[in-house]
Amino acid sequence: MSDLRLDATQLDRYSRHVIMDEIGPEGQQRLLDASVLVVGAGGLGSPAIQYLAAAGVGRLGIVDDDVVERSNLQRQIVHGDDDVGRPKVESAADYVTALNPDIDVEPHETRITAANVADLVDEYDVVLDASDNFATRYLLNDHCVLTGTALSHGAIYRFEGQVTFFTNERSSKAADEDADAPPCYRCIFPEAPEPGTVPDCATTGVLGVLPGTVGCIQATEVVKYILGKGEVLEGRLLMYDAMDMTFETVDVLANPSCPVCSDDPEIESVEDVAYEGSCQISAD
Amino acid sequence: MRVTVDVKGEDTHEIDLESVPTDGDAEPTYQDLLCEIELSPHEVSVLVDGRPVPEDQPVDSAELTVLRLIKGGSPSAGG
Repeated sequence: MSDLRLDATQLDRYSRHVIMDEIGPEGQQRLLDASVLVVGAGGLGSPAIQYLAAAGVGRLGIVDDDVVERSNLQRQIVHGDDDVGRPKVESAADYVTALNPDIDVEPHETRITAANVADLVDEYDVVLDASDNFATRYLLNDHCVLTGTALSHGAIYRFEGQVTFFTNERSSKAADEDADAPPCYRCIFPEAPEPGTVPDCATTGVLGVLPGTVGCIQATEVVKYILGKGEVLEGRLLMYDAMDMTFETVDVLANPSCPVCSDDPEIESVEDVAYEGSCQISAD
Repeated sequence: MRVTVDVKGEDTHEIDLESVPTDGDAEPTYQDLLCEIELSPHEVSVLVDGRPVPEDQPVDSAELTVLRLIKGGSPSAGG
């Protein structure tokens, strides 16, 4: 049993959690003791940051090197009109501090690269990928696989969203390689497309509320994972179509020849990969 | 062989494999099949029984699932 340290104010703040059999004071303490790194303080990151902070995830890291633009405000709801021109991590950190003083919020105004990914990620229990580019997605996937760090994945396009979750518990996967082992991101999409071949929100637009839905699902999965309750979307890709208001899950299995999560991986370090273009293993 | 290609989030296609033009290969590949439905291999992943298959391999399954790769999220989050 965890060491319960909830004070009277916390028992009040989190009372709707504490009274639930699935959470209780022990579960709330687990949330307060947990740490999550949110990569991206934009469309997906905004709702994720809000709900993780409100839920009482005790230490919240936020990575982004961008500043708030007015065109962000249609969907990036931790930022306000007065924040235009400010670093997103500062604006998001101010939001968290105002929402919940329990949270130790750690803004990292930087871009994640192969050189700094370990320093950033290894300080946290879970990573929530709210980035918008394949270089970051493949870098986070590879590093989290190699270090056994849980990773929440979300992506959006116009009216569509995709969400999945990778616990990266490799021991269970290796022990049962011929059965229904769950995949990593590279199992599903082995290589990134060449730049410019897949459109992004900046060129095609995005329904403003869409990242709210997808980011909230990502936050839900992270909270469940921390609590150790329910079934996370491991081995399932959730596809959301806002236009038809449909949700569909597709079962996806590990690729036995995956370059990063198979038993005999080609990628043993993020230094092996050029995180640009198709994010393949470096030729040199 | 008649192949059902379920493009998630879009349409399901029924394709007669014999009618698929090949790129000089004896048998149509998954890539040839994608071209037939006007999808680029760069933007999708083809699954057979839940596992991705190399797109340059000959089609040997009558049921395919196609997932579209999307990247949107937070502009300039890193990388």
